[in-house]
Amino acid sequence: MKNQLKVLRAMRSWSQADLGEHLDVSRQAVNAIETGKYDPSLPLAFKISRLFALPIEEIFDDEFNGD
Amino acid sequence: MTNLTETNMIDRDEIAGSNVRRMMWVIVSGLGIVMTAGAVAGYLAAHEAQGGGALGTAGILTLCGFAAIIIGLAYAIWRNVSKMKASNEGLTRREKLNRKIVWGCGLAGGAIGLFLAFYETSVGNSDTGPALIFADSPMPPVIALILAFFWAVIMPIIAWFWHKRAIDEQEASAYRDGGYYAAYAFLIGAPMWWILWRGGFAPEPDGVAIFMLFASIWTAVWLWKKYR
Repeated sequence: MKNQLKVLRAMRSWSQADLGEHLDVSRQAVNAIETGKYDPSLPLAFKISRLFALPIEEIFDDEFNGD
Repeated sequence: MTNLTETNMIDRDEIAGSNVRRMMWVIVSGLGIVMTAGAVAGYLAAHEAQGGGALGTAGILTLCGFAAIIIGLAYAIWRNVSKMKASNEGLTRREKLNRKIVWGCGLAGGAIGLFLAFYETSVGNSDTGPALIFADSPMPPVIALILAFFWAVIMPIIAWFWHKRAIDEQEASAYRDGGYYAAYAFLIGAPMWWILWRGGFAPEPDGVAIFMLFASIWTAVWLWKKYR
């Protein structure tokens, strides 16, 4: 799933490991989410949403266009 | 400003990412040491079986070759571990705990494997060559009970702790995927081998070989899904 995670952490000058520490996941997990190789669970998506104070749909894009 | 920061960050992440390759080298080197040690044990056992006595020049050169391989692999492990330690700041708390558990289990497994390999050659009567670790010759009941206790009691406790405290959901997902692949390989492969054996097309099914294939597929998919 496409997402804004890389941009959001860049705005805070965080490395993947820094973000992983905030979310209590590994650096690999952050990398896998950023590159779209792994979709986070709903609890983790909410955690990310709260961390960046943004709605989930502004961070993650499921490319649903209403059709 | 953002681009510069992002570039710096990506560089740091790539340094941490290269640890994956280093870890693979450490694992491969460790397996190489175990296999080379097994080859040394097998070579010495074969020498004993042929009458023993002092080793000739060819024998000494062969053992020196094995020793050089082991020293080279040990050096590779030391180099890669040193580099991994130097870049450890890229690891989260969970990853550090995860790595400690995996290393601990790997070292314990390696020690048990080496012990069994040398036991088979020095005390046992196995003639299974390089597959000494997986030999099926009898062993003293005390050793069998200790190993069974380790496998059936200690390992589940470590596994429970590992799942609860050390891994995150991405690794749990990778581990589950490994389990699916391994389970299907077992469900398809084991009956197929059994049927082919009954039809006279294959040797008798080997439980240890099936277990090793199952575990290897699980591990390979787990690592692939985790680090891809």
